[in-house]
Amino acid sequence: MSTRADVLMRLAGAATPALLGFLGVILLASPLRLFGGEVPTPVFPLIIVYFWSLYSPGHLPAASVFAMGLTHDLLSGGPIGLWPTVYLVTQQIAISQQAYFLGRDLGVVSIGFAVAALVVSLIVWFVMSLMTATVLPLGGIFWQMLATVACFPLFALAFGRLHRRVVIEV
Amino acid sequence: MELLGRETRERFGLRSRSQAGILIFSLVSTMMLLSSLYAAEASVFKKAREAAIETASPILKFFAGPIGWIEDRLGAISDYFRVLEQNEALREENAALRQWEEEARSLRGVIAALEELEAYTPPPAAKPINAFVIGEANDAYVHSMIVNAGANEGVSRGFAAVDERGMVGRIVDVSPNAARILLLNDVQSRIPVFVEGSFVEGLLVGRSTSQPTIAITKLANGDKIQPGQRVITSGAGGVLPRGLTVGAVAAVDKKEATVELAADYARSRMVRIINYKFPDVEATPLGAPGAAAAAAEISAAETAPATAADAANLPAAPPAAPAPVDEGD
Repeated sequence: MSTRADVLMRLAGAATPALLGFLGVILLASPLRLFGGEVPTPVFPLIIVYFWSLYSPGHLPAASVFAMGLTHDLLSGGPIGLWPTVYLVTQQIAISQQAYFLGRDLGVVSIGFAVAALVVSLIVWFVMSLMTATVLPLGGIFWQMLATVACFPLFALAFGRLHRRVVIEV
Repeated sequence: MELLGRETRERFGLRSRSQAGILIFSLVSTMMLLSSLYAAEASVFKKAREAAIETASPILKFFAGPIGWIEDRLGAISDYFRVLEQNEALREENAALRQWEEEARSLRGVIAALEELEAYTPPPAAKPINAFVIGEANDAYVHSMIVNAGANEGVSRGFAAVDERGMVGRIVDVSPNAARILLLNDVQSRIPVFVEGSFVEGLLVGRSTSQPTIAITKLANGDKIQPGQRVITSGAGGVLPRGLTVGAVAAVDKKEATVELAADYARSRMVRIINYKFPDVEATPLGAPGAAAAAAEISAAETAPATAADAANLPAAPPAAPAPVDEGD
């Protein structure tokens, strides 16, 4: 009886990053207008993908990342395939820089996230410009990513506690 | 040396395993992206989107409540600091609206007089469908809303959505219980508009900023757009009704004009979806309803005096009486 409960707890722990990712996608699709709609909604799933790909890639497999991106695309109504690509590129960046960033200060990791966000926003801008066949302004995506980067330290602290309490220690 | 070699080998092995998944899924998503760039309205993707908003609508409805509550509290706090200026602005707006009320009253009188004369045919009445905003994509380039009314409520693709100030966007995806509105500032939004007072027609093109621009399609000599002029839907193409408020011209360039939208996306919680159907043209014999109306008017003008005279002088008019007799024979 207790073993089954243990297994369930372990499964829930392992699924936490993916579930959080889906919660982030839902939050992004909800009519959340921060400060009277003046601040664009931060891309919460991007923080989740970067954080877990850096600290524990085994808990967030590429399949979940892909599913998160696809849900994001389907709910936002944008071109399908854009956000899966973006999240997977973020995961790849995080995993490839793992050796450098593991054990570093939160400030250093945040700078790493800012660089990843910059790369990703250029991808989004390029794809959307290609789709509309015009040179779109970079301002919108820049502000959105700035809001996301500004949120990162707060979320990283919370996720760090969550990771230690829930994901690993069951 | 041996230890170092083994360590790198092991790390490489681990990495290649996790990277295979990323590679495969990246390839899949890139292929999807390329196909959606090639055909943005692929029916499979459209169906998937409609299924997604249908599935997500209960979840979004569940989240919309608490989010609205939090926003109200945050909004209330920021409102306390701006009570004075808001009060002033409302007073000015009220004064302007009073003038409009007077004008509307007098216009109502004119319309009533015209209706009496039967020279006025009212436009087909539109039945708005009220819907709550349960989802919103506030991305950098993609701007859309998900509302809790769908095909079951009579919503269909192409309908215009307005809030209490002006046009919000038009319906692009419809599922049984939810629908997606493409907002006017989405990069894919194109709406035929008309600048009031200067006979300029154009397409309102979303630019991902809060102010879309008008790409002018028809500009007669000497026509000029000035900031402050009202922009309304032109109804060209027959998909949207004519005369919905879109906004006002904010700035004018050589080739295009930016428009300040009347709708307030940050505040619209409820929208009205306008059920508009272009009046059937084929039903009238000569194709153009204007021509048919003109013909009817001419024939009425010719026959009216005679029939009126007949009606006045002889209640049982001879020309009318024989007709049933002929038929009976």
